[in-house]
Amino acid sequence: MATTAIPTTKISGGSFLLDDRRPEEVFTPEDFSEQHQLIGQTAEEFAVNEILPNVEKIEHKDFSVTRDLLKKAGELGLSGVEIPEAYGGLEMDKVTAAVIADHIAKYAGFATTWGGHTGIGTLPIVYFGTEGQKKKYLPRLAAGEIVGAYALSEASSGSDAMNCRTKATLSSDGKYYILNGEKMWITNAGFADLFTVFAKIDGEKFSAFLVEKGFPGISIGAEEHKMGIRGSSTCPVILNDCKVPVENLLGEIGKGHVIAFNILNVGRFKLGAMCVGGARVAIEHSIAYAKQRKAFNKVIADFGLVREKIANMAVGIYTGESLVYRTVGMMDAALNEVDKSSPDAAKETRKAIEEYAVECSIIKVWGSEMIDYVADEMVQIYAGYGFVEEYPAERTYRDARINRIFEGTNEINRLIITGFLLKRAMSGQLPLMPAIKKLMDEVLSGPSSDELDGPLAEESKLVGQAKKLGLFAAGAATQKYMQAIQDQQEIMGAIADMTIETYAMESVVLRTQKIIQAKGENAAALPLAMTRVYLSQAMGKIEAAAKKVIAAVADGDMLRTQLAILRRLAKYEPFNVIELRQQIAQKMIERGKYGIA
Amino acid sequence: MKILVCMKQVPQKDAPLKLNETATWIREDVSYEVNEPDAYALEEALRQKEKHGGEVVVITSGPARAQQVLREALAKGADRAIHLEDNAFVGLDAFNTARAFAAAIKDEQFDLIFTGLQSDDYGYAQVGVILAELLGWPHATIIMQIEKTDAGIKVKRELEAGFFQFVDMPLPAVLTIQSGINKLRYATLIGIKNAKNKPLRKVALADVQSAIGNNLQMIEKLYIPQKTKNTEFIEGPPAEVAKKLVEKLRNELRVL
Amino acid sequence: MPDTILVIAEQREGKLNRASLETIAAGQAIAAATGWALEAAVVGASVGSFANELAAKKLAKVYSVESAKLEPYTPDAFAAGLKQFIEAKQPKLVLMPHTYQVRDFVPKLATAMGSTVISDCIGFKHEGGKLLFTRQMFQGKLAADVSFTGNSPWFATFQNGAFRGDKAEDGASAAPVETVKVEIADGVVRNRPQEVFKEAKQAVDLTQAEIIVSVGRGIKEQKNIEIAKQLADALGGELAASRPICDSGWLPMDRQIGSSGQTVAPKLYLALGISGAIQHIVGMKGARGIVAINKDSEAPIFEIADFAVVGNLFDIVPPLIEEVKKAKAGN
Repeated sequence: MATTAIPTTKISGGSFLLDDRRPEEVFTPEDFSEQHQLIGQTAEEFAVNEILPNVEKIEHKDFSVTRDLLKKAGELGLSGVEIPEAYGGLEMDKVTAAVIADHIAKYAGFATTWGGHTGIGTLPIVYFGTEGQKKKYLPRLAAGEIVGAYALSEASSGSDAMNCRTKATLSSDGKYYILNGEKMWITNAGFADLFTVFAKIDGEKFSAFLVEKGFPGISIGAEEHKMGIRGSSTCPVILNDCKVPVENLLGEIGKGHVIAFNILNVGRFKLGAMCVGGARVAIEHSIAYAKQRKAFNKVIADFGLVREKIANMAVGIYTGESLVYRTVGMMDAALNEVDKSSPDAAKETRKAIEEYAVECSIIKVWGSEMIDYVADEMVQIYAGYGFVEEYPAERTYRDARINRIFEGTNEINRLIITGFLLKRAMSGQLPLMPAIKKLMDEVLSGPSSDELDGPLAEESKLVGQAKKLGLFAAGAATQKYMQAIQDQQEIMGAIADMTIETYAMESVVLRTQKIIQAKGENAAALPLAMTRVYLSQAMGKIEAAAKKVIAAVADGDMLRTQLAILRRLAKYEPFNVIELRQQIAQKMIERGKYGIA
Repeated sequence: MKILVCMKQVPQKDAPLKLNETATWIREDVSYEVNEPDAYALEEALRQKEKHGGEVVVITSGPARAQQVLREALAKGADRAIHLEDNAFVGLDAFNTARAFAAAIKDEQFDLIFTGLQSDDYGYAQVGVILAELLGWPHATIIMQIEKTDAGIKVKRELEAGFFQFVDMPLPAVLTIQSGINKLRYATLIGIKNAKNKPLRKVALADVQSAIGNNLQMIEKLYIPQKTKNTEFIEGPPAEVAKKLVEKLRNELRVL
Repeated sequence: MPDTILVIAEQREGKLNRASLETIAAGQAIAAATGWALEAAVVGASVGSFANELAAKKLAKVYSVESAKLEPYTPDAFAAGLKQFIEAKQPKLVLMPHTYQVRDFVPKLATAMGSTVISDCIGFKHEGGKLLFTRQMFQGKLAADVSFTGNSPWFATFQNGAFRGDKAEDGASAAPVETVKVEIADGVVRNRPQEVFKEAKQAVDLTQAEIIVSVGRGIKEQKNIEIAKQLADALGGELAASRPICDSGWLPMDRQIGSSGQTVAPKLYLALGISGAIQHIVGMKGARGIVAINKDSEAPIFEIADFAVVGNLFDIVPPLIEEVKKAKAGN
């Protein structure tokens, strides 16, 4: 279904570091079709009318309510957009999937459940299932009649999933695999019907199995007592001579790692969208509270330091939207080239999404750190009332924290970002090395003056500088460590930080340029202010990360030379962010919630 | 039964409104939504169709943005839509709006026309009744229940102060529907997907121009209402507020 | 001959309703401003007694507009009968209360006469010879001054409570009363209304309550109604609600205040989590004292409140119940 036509052609993953994009080439929330808007509205109404009134029950683990909600979500079609039509799904674009995740995420407890069910609970079958497995399970998963869960982690293996101890042995009659072991941190385990369980056949061949709750030998342990997302179920899953029919082997024997790593990749973008959705709720609460709480005879919404927080929250949401929708837009453009009727459709689809592994990891890391920041400042605005359970800030704060941990910790994702880019650079898929060389030649030949014009020329120039800073630091580091850079986690992390911020900066600038092109600079005053505030924050981070890398790889005269280059690349005339944040906060407070008009 | 539902796009309930330069209308850069009573009118039409078969057609007037209301209705189950598309429709009074609708449907044969009982922007509560008069049809307003009978329909009207009344009436007829008559459905994703292929007929201002005339009333000035009462705000921590309130109840309102 | 203002009064259950007297008061005010004459009419099968009652007011003339077909009320008969009558009398301006009955027929009547209604007005202005009618728009967030741009007769309806009925002046002597029979042909009336009835079995008459504690959407959940109930009990008052609460079934319909519920004027109206949509306000703005507690500092309810608390009702109500109990115990 070609609903999203921006960008019009496929763009390579990671190419944002090297190529300059024009606003017409990126998808933004302003490009939502009528259909996207209506679907967003349905998800929003579902969250407001069905989920929010039940928060207290769900928070106290009344999972019958959760099951009812999953059923209702299924009936509305909210859980089937990534499932092919042939298996009871709606087979819609990834923008739609992101729109739903974004709007349904008003309460983290349920959002986690729904995300687990529709993502890691369902997608392994979508992408790796046999025809029989798809026919048997997908229609019921789409309808919310059965609930899915994903059982990879164990007590002693999390991100290093291959270190799995659960074993599978073929029964003597060859009809069953007998599974033994214990899985931990399994989302939805308390009420799920179908588990994708990873185990090593004969203790060696890492493989995946579809295990129904009714199979003999599977049992569910006690609910974990969690810091947050208490409205979701997280339990151990115990397999004690669990008999799994051979036809429930998922994918190929010994190829479990392909499933394990890819499933997280193909679903990660939705986590970013959910973080944006959660932040929108948080800012609304924060504004409402700031408007009614008084101190020194003024509502605290009038105080600069409170307004600064509200403005930063808004900037976070605006940037998050820009990042998420730009990325899903690229995915859809790539997916448009996949022949859905081909027998390889599932594989091709998966590959098209994986092309954007770096961008998806960026969304995940960036989004989870944004919502964590927003939740933290929400508590701060509520102050004492933020520290007690009666007010929403406390729960928001606890709930936000998990996002940096699950779906691959942010540390793992940072390594993925830099590792993936380096891998592509080495293989020549991404001409990073020539770009680095060109930059080195350029900076050594003295200051350049590339003049840009048009709307946001200054801001675009900053994006260019950010890219150069990243390349410069990455170049210096690879020169020193060569292949061994993989072992320098701090350097890899710092390069990831620069990459993340660069992608965010560029996404936000391109979106704002697009708004200006459509509506003129006057109507875009608020987006422009948010863009400038974001650029200021990001440039500071990028410069600091670059400095950290340079200081680690050079010393003496070399260090001084490189720092001089770095300063030149990082130089810009600062924006008046105090004034800009005042303007942003004023608009948000007037409206009582986030918005860009 | 073939039912036409008249719908309107209005500013969102919590949208901050700003006056335009001439202070005769609001600035249009706000978010819009379906007028709430119209959503109930649509829901009722869909339920009647589910019971008795037939067709549900939705109509609106307004600029391009108003099409969203029709798409939403189509997604919820309406069969086709009519859009009187022009910015000028926003400024028509109730009489002219009804005349434009009547002209746009002159070749259709409806059994029933529903409108919401009033709009959240103008709040005239008139278009439905005027439309009935223009078509020469009977009407009933503020309807809480509709049953098909052999001779036509039996409707339950809401009156003031908790009173109700059943009214038997022939078809075709116009009914204005009260909010809360039913429970609204969501637009399902499959409905939204299918809505794209449903017919949407556009009617230009020129197509109905001959049917409408000058407005018979005009907004001379729009403004933020002046406060008439002197409100005393009571502030402080809850316990203190409670104490102060009781003092007011005792000494000023004298109810304790 | 000067222009004439005609007030159409409404009678129901053997009484002229309060809104009719309010409209007379409105008519008197407009007449004073414009110098136009003021007349009134009552419509029904046999309404002479109401006409006589109206004649006590300061009016140039009172008509009883009669036809057997005007009872029971139908929009067809009222529009047809009044069209005949108004065509004969040619008033410049026709005023009516904005009741559910009037809004049922007046757009039809005006359309039949090629004219228009400015409905649900809350006041008028007479500026430079021009008559403007003030009405609320956008759910009361804005107000508009609206003028007629076409030919008379002009129609306007006034919201409940826009004018004070008790301020309607009596005349020095009784106004002349004239009965006008209107002809409504067979076949004009198409609707067949049945008896008016009340749905609630044990109707609570909130109009007699001196203290009312009323809840709105801000109460959030049905179980929270309990703390409002406790407050009402502590105060010795009745519990009431805005429409959404009754629509959700959290309180029975007969506890609804507002245009589709009851209109009340207690000594104390304590609004908890009520934002104050016009439909609610018209039902309670006559209260002598209004206390509003709402989280949203911009809630319209604060426009008409005597005492306002911007805050979370769940924080304020529990200590308030305690304070009220203490105060009562001390009495």
